[in-house]
Amino acid sequence: MRVGFFVGCNTAFNRPDLEKAVRYAFPALGVELDDLEGQSCCPTWGTMPSIDLAGWCAVGARNYALAEEKNLDMITVCGSCYGSLAESRHKLLSDPELKARVNAMLKSIGREFKGTSRIRHAICYLYKELGPEKIKEAVRHKLDGITIAVQPGCHALWPSEVYEDKEEDTFHPKVLIELCEALGAKAPYYSRLLDCCGMGGMRSTDMEKSFKLVEKKLNSMKEEINPDLIVTACSSCLIQLDTAQGFLQKDRKINYEIPVLHYMQLLALCLGAEPGQVASLGKTNVQSVVNKILEG
Amino acid sequence: MSNAAEAVPEVINLSAGEKGFVDEIKALGATHILDCIQCAKCAAACPMALAGFPFFNKRVIQAILLGLKEMLLDDTSIWACQSCNRCTEVCPRKVNPFEVMQAMRRVAVREFALPTLAIEGIKSLYDVGHAVYLAQAHENRVKVGLPQKPPSTVAHPTALRELQALLEQTALSDLGIIPMGKSGVKESCEV
Ligand code: SF4
Ligand code: SF4
Repeated sequence: MRVGFFVGCNTAFNRPDLEKAVRYAFPALGVELDDLEGQSCCPTWGTMPSIDLAGWCAVGARNYALAEEKNLDMITVCGSCYGSLAESRHKLLSDPELKARVNAMLKSIGREFKGTSRIRHAICYLYKELGPEKIKEAVRHKLDGITIAVQPGCHALWPSEVYEDKEEDTFHPKVLIELCEALGAKAPYYSRLLDCCGMGGMRSTDMEKSFKLVEKKLNSMKEEINPDLIVTACSSCLIQLDTAQGFLQKDRKINYEIPVLHYMQLLALCLGAEPGQVASLGKTNVQSVVNKILEG
Repeated sequence: MSNAAEAVPEVINLSAGEKGFVDEIKALGATHILDCIQCAKCAAACPMALAGFPFFNKRVIQAILLGLKEMLLDDTSIWACQSCNRCTEVCPRKVNPFEVMQAMRRVAVREFALPTLAIEGIKSLYDVGHAVYLAQAHENRVKVGLPQKPPSTVAHPTALRELQALLEQTALSDLGIIPMGKSGVKESCEV
């Protein structure tokens, strides 16, 4: 198996330990990664999609063209990249006029969008193409006795109409839960499991309102399941849940800290990766949970 | 929801609404806006509404239908939309409220009513190929055993030039929101 790795901005620049985790875990499970040299931003929602629909699709289509030239699907660990690329592809494939317009733009740079490559959500890819059983067999460290609060992230779920990788029931997601259970952990339901993390446009527009959502979400986790760890399927959720806790503590809004990891980081650790490389750039202290993992 | 009441005047002068506003919105992508029946399922699902932004999906749609363009431009709510598409998923009329939010942003951009941070992100996208970019990231990248630069436009000047050539054919060049044609790499940008 071989896929293009669509790195995305936040993973490459904010959390390269997550990028490293992807580069460790996929090959360890027999999935080869291609770098798709020359890829760009997806582009993210606050930029081209907010300005020019065709321009948005053109930037997305250029990224697709790089994958199509190599006959590869792409995987991403970022919800925004998944959402933006899935939507622009859906628009291009359902609107021939738009596709023609975008291809005329791409022609000027010697590229073409055909629609043969897909964007895959890394977590759903793991679930569908490898399956929880295979992951269970491959891991060296088990998470017995660890309770996880999962954060699937909006862009893994909606709009299900345009997503290649989707849950059977988008309002009762189970992919991330089952993947955490495959590592030996418990991942119980909590009432705000589906809540948005407040990252992205909301955080840039009004940090206080954005953090109010995080606070609600964290309290629901803490009170209902008291987790050892939060596990996200999205790099933006990772950054938000990880960095917001410090601010909330300082403002005396919360008096606890829950370590946060992306599922790819957790998986890499369980597969035997070096914690300093795959889980070292967060603000929350993951040391105690990493120690537990290494003992397991 | 405390500030929702403050943000909207008690009496709305309907004759002050902008004619043709709906058509503008439709042309910019909100194709199905007229199918909205104001049932509020989208609002019930929207994190913006939960966080207390006055103009969440249902209200934006209603304001557009009333032609209240200025009122929408005066408020930053539309920029807080998370693109989460909960609204699209639950709308019984297939209005695609998210697309309405995006179309409203496209109107705002044409009126230059866009937040500084959005401009920064666009400039960064043009200059380096990434809307979110941290020039100092190479230190952390090396620390975790990665090359200084990701294999993107950042490491490939010809690929960046390609992307810029594309962007120069979009509405960005007509709008003149950012300097184009000559890129200067900036320090960092987070959107
Ligand atoms: S759910 Fe759909 S029909 Fe109902 S208010 Fe929202 S956009 Fe309108
Ligand atoms: S896409 Fe925007 S408007 Fe729709 S539910 Fe999400 S935040 Fe609300």
